[in-house]
Amino acid sequence: MKRTKLGYLTLSLAIGFSSLGAAEEERTLFIAFAMTKAQEASSIPTDSGIYLRNEEESSWSRIGPVIQSMNSLAVDPSAPATMFMACGNGIVRSRDGGKNWRLVTGWRESDFLKIAIDPENGDSIYGTSVWGFHLSRDGGETWTAANKGLKEKYCRTIIVDQRNTRRLVLGTGDGIYESRNGGDSWAQVRSSPRSAILRMDRSLKNPDLWIAGSEGEGVYLSTNDGKTWRSVAETLSETNVYGVSLHPKRESRMAAGGWSQGVWVSNDGGVSWEDRGSGLPSQNVTAVAFDENHADRLWVSTFEEGTYYTDDDGKTWIDGDLYGAYVFDLDFVTTAKP
Amino acid sequence: MLSQLYLPNLRFLALALGVVVSPLIQASQPPVAPLSDAELVRLYRERCEYLIDQTVAATDPNDSSRGSSFTIAANLRRETNLEWARERLRLSNDPPSGSMFWMHPMVLLMEEGRGVLNDEDWAFIKELWRTYFPYRGDTENHWVMYYVSLYLAAEMFPDAGPEAWYNGKSSKEIMADAKEFLLDWMRITTSYGQGEYDSPNYIEEYTRPMALLVGWAQDPELQQMGKMMMDYILLDYAVENLEGLYGGAHSRLYPRYLLQPGMAHSAAHAWLLWGQGEYRSNGGTLMIALSGYTPPPILFRIATDRDKAYIHKELKRTRWRFRHAGPESFEVDGKRTIPVYKYSYVHPDYILGSSQGGLLQPIQQQTWSLVWREENMEGKSNTMFGLQPYSSPIEGTMYFASDWDTVTDLIARSKVDYDSEDKLEGGSPYEQVFQHESTLIALYDIPEGTRFPSISTLFSRDINRRIEDDSGWIFGQGGPVYIAYRPFAPGEWKPVDWTGLLKGGAGAWFSTGFKELSEGSECLVSRSLKNGYIVEIAPVSAFETYRDFQETIKALPVEVQLEPTPKVSYTNLAGVKLEAEYGGTPSVDGEKVDYSSWKLFDGPFAQAERESQSLEMIYGSERYILDFVNRSAETTLVEEK
Repeated sequence: MKRTKLGYLTLSLAIGFSSLGAAEEERTLFIAFAMTKAQEASSIPTDSGIYLRNEEESSWSRIGPVIQSMNSLAVDPSAPATMFMACGNGIVRSRDGGKNWRLVTGWRESDFLKIAIDPENGDSIYGTSVWGFHLSRDGGETWTAANKGLKEKYCRTIIVDQRNTRRLVLGTGDGIYESRNGGDSWAQVRSSPRSAILRMDRSLKNPDLWIAGSEGEGVYLSTNDGKTWRSVAETLSETNVYGVSLHPKRESRMAAGGWSQGVWVSNDGGVSWEDRGSGLPSQNVTAVAFDENHADRLWVSTFEEGTYYTDDDGKTWIDGDLYGAYVFDLDFVTTAKP
Repeated sequence: MLSQLYLPNLRFLALALGVVVSPLIQASQPPVAPLSDAELVRLYRERCEYLIDQTVAATDPNDSSRGSSFTIAANLRRETNLEWARERLRLSNDPPSGSMFWMHPMVLLMEEGRGVLNDEDWAFIKELWRTYFPYRGDTENHWVMYYVSLYLAAEMFPDAGPEAWYNGKSSKEIMADAKEFLLDWMRITTSYGQGEYDSPNYIEEYTRPMALLVGWAQDPELQQMGKMMMDYILLDYAVENLEGLYGGAHSRLYPRYLLQPGMAHSAAHAWLLWGQGEYRSNGGTLMIALSGYTPPPILFRIATDRDKAYIHKELKRTRWRFRHAGPESFEVDGKRTIPVYKYSYVHPDYILGSSQGGLLQPIQQQTWSLVWREENMEGKSNTMFGLQPYSSPIEGTMYFASDWDTVTDLIARSKVDYDSEDKLEGGSPYEQVFQHESTLIALYDIPEGTRFPSISTLFSRDINRRIEDDSGWIFGQGGPVYIAYRPFAPGEWKPVDWTGLLKGGAGAWFSTGFKELSEGSECLVSRSLKNGYIVEIAPVSAFETYRDFQETIKALPVEVQLEPTPKVSYTNLAGVKLEAEYGGTPSVDGEKVDYSSWKLFDGPFAQAERESQSLEMIYGSERYILDFVNRSAETTLVEEK
């Protein structure tokens, strides 16, 4: 296992947004975590935060304020200076690329886990929380709970259909739900697992291809744009799957990781799966992501034992730092090039 | 209209502070003249001043490495050790930490610092509020402390813009949001009961923020509502208070206070508010003392009058459940909870209290307890309780936003005993408890494969004269009470010993001194999955001899059946036939217990209907009514029957 240089750069951040109008955009890996490994005799992690990956320096740089319980980041793809953080305190927004932040939710909104933004209309923001689904129609200024049709309000993850942005797909405590009216009402997707949906991904290459990780029912795949789902990766069929990812360019390639099972990869569209995580220091996986900037790179976060990547399909794992972290989300967002 | 009408000061009390004692103590002490309202208040004020003085006296002005914001605040009040206070302010906030536990003492410090702190001090404090982003927390007490603190901090700088605060909101926005939350919390609490109910530990996490509102809120509505909520919370304690012991079932309790209930923060409150027990340094009581809050005299009387035994019932609720809420749950404003039915028998010598069992509160629930009076509480383990030591991701994910596979581990990072069979607190879905006056019946039906398939009952070192009788009853005496315990299945005695659990030092902050706390105490541990027991309590004064008590108990009819589910029929010392079956509704003399009629408060000293947003305190002809709809607190006199 090779070790890269550790590079925590705590920046007040601008990340090159000062000249946003002319800036080129790129896809940047972010990671949201709490440092729990060293948390002894305390209910408070020793650190928490959201960091961005600096490709050139192979290091992580903090973005935004330090708040306990920071779960995810979303950036408006049409205006990358606008970003939202899903936090225990609510949703925190920056409109200037991270220079200034504002808690845009009130006391009624809490414990957000994931945020999605309408790619065509940055005023429509969607947030999942343990208390239910929330939406904003005014760029995050005001928020409304929108749980009509949901059997369980606990919501873990959300994806906006970029081909029909009124269509939202939601991972709840009661399986996968779909809205055709921008979140005003919900209906459960037939053939969805009935357990909690922990993570979801949709292929950039083939928008009909979706993957979901569930609590206790393993991995589910849809090849018809989320209309029907089927269980795949039999070895993981009773696993709590905390990480799923579809390769950005090769639709037959996908990965899933879960508790005590490490990470498994399929190169044939989910027909067969192989264990690629045996070289990891822990088989307790909490996040998985294919790298959008490196064709063969797969990132995996283990519970408190570090985040790693492989460029050779799991033969060797390179330490991506963050030893001791409990990673809640590992994904790519659009940012301006510095 | 906001009104606060007290009785005339010269009205003498039939029963007053420190006067009402058990028959045993009455026999050995001369009667004490009753105290007027004015005298009660004067003595209370003296204790407040003493407490502040003691805090200041404990300050070492030559050591700026020690001292909390509470201590700084007390020094600012007295305008003493000011250089130390300024230095300590800076050192203790480099960097700030603790979220709402940083916020509320900081607000206290700021309020006491008006006119004392200089411009540099204020600039330093403002910078902290601009840059430190506190977590709002995940418990009811966290949120109350967070929003009270934030409101008051913003109220000090009402025109400050969003650039002044960590959250990017203006003072006006902060105050509007915080006030709305606080009024909503009060509405929920006075309608459905508190979620984090009756905690001898966490009572101060509520009295602290309410004291802040009483003492320093400039908004008259919040100030008044804070005062009323303080009265409400203290009444909740007062009706189950026995000389500083907070009796009954509890939502949250730490091991050291489980074992020595006279050490809990509630005891420190009893000293300040009602003059009971010994002075103990405590941040909550210091905050009350500094706030100027004065409890209504009726609280003194309710808290201290233990002349007659009484039944007191309460309706509370569980903490909000966002997963696994269960079919019995109901929704309040989009959040799910289930009712908690509390029953306490408050006797001059003891309190036996219980809830119905089940997972009512994560981690630290005490489903039932017995506490008894001791003349000197120091070092006393004057308590008894039982539990099924349950831990599960079901409970964890029911209440916490963590993942299934990590939640138990993360809970145990701070509550180290959570995932231990040796633990002394916690609820279980396999436990059902039923109480009638001095009799308690607990039934257990534990599924195969349960992580800790056992039940445990504490027999503390202060339960003396323990006898395991051939009849199956176990007898003992705790201070002025006799105890009879009838297990339904065999068990083994196990010392209360956490040596293994505490290896590595985890959890030392709440288990320090555990050897001294636990030495000599034992648990009766039974591993039968179908299980249960009867607890019968009686005052020593009711029997001529200990043997008489035993013989009387042994003659009582008991029928126990464990298959297919535990079931018991028992006629208690009072001749009342009690029947209970696991999974069913218990009955008293053939009549089913009607939980649907449970009120928020139902006892001789307090009455409150569900969803009433009001509370009536009762003492003799005196009525003190808290009306949270009209924001009024009013005392009236009624004609006694």
